[in-house]
Amino acid sequence: MNGTVPPASADRATTSSAAHGSTAAAMHGAHWGPLRREITKLLFQRRSYVIWAGAALVPFIIALAIKLNNGGPRGGEGPQFFSRVFSNGIYVAPGALTVLLPFLLPMAAAMVAGYMLAGEAELGTLRIVLLRPVTRGSIVLTKWVAAMLYLLVGLVLMVASGLLFGGLFFGLHPMVLLSGTTVGVWHGLGIIALACLYGLAAMACIVSLALLFSALSDSSLTALIAAIVVYIVIGVVIQFSYFDWLKPWVFPAYFEDYLNFFRDPIYWKPILKGLEVFAAWSAGLVAVTWLLFRRKDVLS
Amino acid sequence: MPKDVSASPAGEPQPVSQPGGRQPAPSSCSGGAPILTTHGLTKRFGDLLAVDDLDMEVCRSDVFGFLGPNGAGKTTVIRLVLGLIHPTAGHAEVAGHRVPGELQEALRHVGGFVDDPTFYPLMSARRNLRLLGSMTGPVSEERIEEVLEIVDLLGRADDRVGGFSHGMKQRLGIAQALLHGPELIVLDEPTSGLDPRGMKDVRELIRSLGEAGTTVFLSSHLLHEVEQVCTRAVIINKGRVVVQGTVAELRPRSLAVKVMTGDQRKAAETLRGLFGSVREDDGYLIVEVGGDEATAEMVRRLVADGLDVRAVVPAHEQGLEDFFLELTREDKSGPARPRRRAGLGRVLPGRRS
Repeated sequence: MNGTVPPASADRATTSSAAHGSTAAAMHGAHWGPLRREITKLLFQRRSYVIWAGAALVPFIIALAIKLNNGGPRGGEGPQFFSRVFSNGIYVAPGALTVLLPFLLPMAAAMVAGYMLAGEAELGTLRIVLLRPVTRGSIVLTKWVAAMLYLLVGLVLMVASGLLFGGLFFGLHPMVLLSGTTVGVWHGLGIIALACLYGLAAMACIVSLALLFSALSDSSLTALIAAIVVYIVIGVVIQFSYFDWLKPWVFPAYFEDYLNFFRDPIYWKPILKGLEVFAAWSAGLVAVTWLLFRRKDVLS
Repeated sequence: MPKDVSASPAGEPQPVSQPGGRQPAPSSCSGGAPILTTHGLTKRFGDLLAVDDLDMEVCRSDVFGFLGPNGAGKTTVIRLVLGLIHPTAGHAEVAGHRVPGELQEALRHVGGFVDDPTFYPLMSARRNLRLLGSMTGPVSEERIEEVLEIVDLLGRADDRVGGFSHGMKQRLGIAQALLHGPELIVLDEPTSGLDPRGMKDVRELIRSLGEAGTTVFLSSHLLHEVEQVCTRAVIINKGRVVVQGTVAELRPRSLAVKVMTGDQRKAAETLRGLFGSVREDDGYLIVEVGGDEATAEMVRRLVADGLDVRAVVPAHEQGLEDFFLELTREDKSGPARPRRRAGLGRVLPGRRS
């Protein structure tokens, strides 16, 4: 090895950032560095691309199947929007959202967030990360943001794929909303974007839940399964009228309220209520995660 | 039997710790405030007391050996000092910042790794360092290349870490520890799993870090490694400091020599007259001479008595290993329990019981 080593200096650590870059750049880097690190890490995981590929593939399969079948399910049958796809490709994207939102997106959310802390603990990189002078709170928050960005990319890919293959197979035409009003293509795209953002907000609850289990466990698989089990159990419980009193308080009860964007006028009340519930669950779960993680003994 | 340090002459290992009260002992660091201290540091995992009221002190620019048998609590202490785990009682101070209270400020002065250093296997060494560096501010490419050069990995900078050998990962661990030029580098068994060449390289690097003024905290169970590299050391056992001092102090010098002359019978009489007792072993006469001056005087007397002195060699030299084994040996009454050393106001662990 080369014996040349940096000279020791009492104040070099405090000024190290400035020593290796400008002060402004150092502050900028210190702010964005952890997020950049998380995103880079996601880009270097093969599973990230598998989920993204799935998100892009589903709209293609929907469009292809309906094309090959010479028509979707008849009105009122099959998943929402499917019966309209054959006449208008713009419905492929919301149709895909309908299919993905109940299961694949929660799976993706649980997977990516479940890996965030527990996966690093499994790999052993968590202790190297924690030796950097970054608070555990900012680590939790950064990982939450990175997981949400990851899901946002998945939704963008889904919409892009839906529009691409919907347009190719059936053409993009003015959209007839669920309330019967017809709106232009761009207006329709705006509505689809809002619906996807609502779906993303719904996924914030799953991300927060999985992140909590990720902080509790040193196994990413355990964190993933635990989050999905909780989600499914809540989903099953609210199917029974006996538990109707629970519905206003649990996030899965609001997942389908994105459909209210496809009315004219948009039915905001359930949407806003859903967003409130999503925000409350997410904030609460992230806060609990932070409280537990800041006191956690990292032994992995 | 535990080593009774209280009976040792001046210059013997310094007894440490003040388990009873929490009055901080005066620093023994000649160059100002110590860079790392622990104060009554205790960690309990359920019923297991992993670290027990540990007090130690690492002076600036020390290459400090942290010795103990497997399971002594070395890695737990390092995790406590670096804030990876929370103490049950007590605290550490790194560069004047309390851990865990001021952990982030403390970590700005520290680099290192615990257990085996681990990285993202699909990324290159360079990208791993870039990512780790970016967590606390941008690190220039020049700096990354500099630390890779130091650990002799520049040629593999763009290779995936997943393909690295254990030794290369250890070296990359040292590189990331050096990245932001910390004052204190904590290395947890950095030569474990390395081949002899790799061990030698790492030890040379540690030595050069010390020479450059960086404080190195080296955890190891390899006693000869500590003897070769470190200036000061602490030996812990069962989560307690047994003894600490300079490595020279921890290595008691043998005062016995073996003597071979042309007439051993006559020589034995002369030596008995000089030192009182003489042993015989494998044809040699063995005497406790008491020091270099006494050895010279002995030779003069033997020659003056007309004896043909053919050899004077040191008897078996007690090394750090012997001392370590003696200190950490367990007999039926339990582990070593050193006692108070008179006059210093500081005691070795075990005093409270």
